[in-house]
Amino acid sequence: MSVFIRSAYALPVSEYWTKSIVDLMVDAANRAIDAVPGVKIDKVIVGNMMSGYANHQEHLGALLASSLGMKGVEAIKVEAACGSGGAAIHEGYLSIKSGEYENVLVVGVEKMKDMDTPKTTKALAMAESSDFTQAVGASFISLNALLMRLYMNSYNVDEELMDYFPVIAHKNAVTSPHAQYRKAITVDDVKRSPVIADPIKLLSSAPSGDGAAAVILSSKEGPVEVLASEIATNDLIVAQREEPLRFLATEIAFKKAIKKSGISASDIDFMELHDAFPVVASLGLEAMGISKKGKAPQDASNGRFNMGSELPILTFGGLKARGHPVGATGAYQVVEAFMQLAGTAGQNQVKGAKVGLTHNVGGVDTTAVIHIMRRVE
Amino acid sequence: MNKMIPIAYWRNRKVYTRMIGSKCKDCGAEFFPPVRVCKKCGSRNIEEKEMPRTGTLLAYTKLSEPAQEFKEYAPIYLGFIRLDNGVNVISMIADADEEKLKSGSRVQATVRKWTEDGKGGLIYYGYKFRVSD
Repeated sequence: MSVFIRSAYALPVSEYWTKSIVDLMVDAANRAIDAVPGVKIDKVIVGNMMSGYANHQEHLGALLASSLGMKGVEAIKVEAACGSGGAAIHEGYLSIKSGEYENVLVVGVEKMKDMDTPKTTKALAMAESSDFTQAVGASFISLNALLMRLYMNSYNVDEELMDYFPVIAHKNAVTSPHAQYRKAITVDDVKRSPVIADPIKLLSSAPSGDGAAAVILSSKEGPVEVLASEIATNDLIVAQREEPLRFLATEIAFKKAIKKSGISASDIDFMELHDAFPVVASLGLEAMGISKKGKAPQDASNGRFNMGSELPILTFGGLKARGHPVGATGAYQVVEAFMQLAGTAGQNQVKGAKVGLTHNVGGVDTTAVIHIMRRVE
Repeated sequence: MNKMIPIAYWRNRKVYTRMIGSKCKDCGAEFFPPVRVCKKCGSRNIEEKEMPRTGTLLAYTKLSEPAQEFKEYAPIYLGFIRLDNGVNVISMIADADEEKLKSGSRVQATVRKWTEDGKGGLIYYGYKFRVSD
């Protein structure tokens, strides 16, 4: 059974003060549904991380189905921290594969700007252990900061080289229709931005935002086929990992996805990478074997990942500049890969794109979701 | 409102104040915080094991915007520490002096206040590490 994407739509990531989490989901879902006239949805899956804590709202599956007027339709929510969106697409993929469903609507959503910063920090830390990570004051960003220090010490990498990832992201976001920050920045801007958790600065950290992205997966042919959808996990407590600088979940999910898709890594024309922080982008690329260990920042600074180069990444701005509405991010990446492969990416089009990969992470590579997609000729 | 879940704090008091972790009775691997199943060999034959209170600082960060229950103490320092039995731990650093915080600095565990629920409320104590040389 082949799995296709028939339509995909992403709301611009923003601060939607006048819209509720329901409005965001419905706005994105309606756009995806309208693109396939007469489509009958037989399952709804919502990917979301923090609606209980942020919006005092759970039960998003039934909430969305009933808000769309879909009486009786099966609906659930899927959660895997910042990997929730990708995990929801994965569950949709498996539903189609099972042969039990014809059209599945997947919506990734996060409405996080209603919270102040300390509450947001708490919500994000919930990806890690409550008893043993949050209790000792370690926030999500501080874990990444420690990992970045270990990375720079182990491979003798200059901090400045790491700052090329946000520069690439922002450059691509300038012409991205749904990006939160459509403004180019320089390595110097990153360097001079306020330090949040040394060595992570404001401009090397993915921002928070509100957003929703919707995809219709189907057994009926669409413009894009999903060749592989894989999830793997790593130790939840980062300090307990045998090799803290090894993104084992990404490594395993990538290997399985390559094998199942029947393509080779060199066939990949572009990559929507999980660039929450430069160290996450670097370790992700290295786990997939795209860069040698300790060399991803150098590859980024050499232009290897720019648009028009060997392997464009973050083609609509990535987490850093398109924005990171956490539980929706994985769905945003799949929408972006769809736009590239369907040839509707406008000024951000990767010329001749035939195969694309998305890499969505929950926690610090605690969950990794890889999708490989191809253009249907 | 409580900053930590009081009964969860009580459940974990041995871990927080005495650094009780785990040892696998089959393969001898040690873990902190405690585990239910050995991450090395998969055994469920696990016993309590007190961790050494000394180690080496591998990396640290100064966090300007901690989560809400720690915001009154900002900035807070966190360290990635390798204990002398080879087990890694992430911990708050007490009495942080950036001159002395170096990769390779020797550190020692101490028990300090983590946070408190305000006047008349609970005070949560637990391990923090400080530079010992």
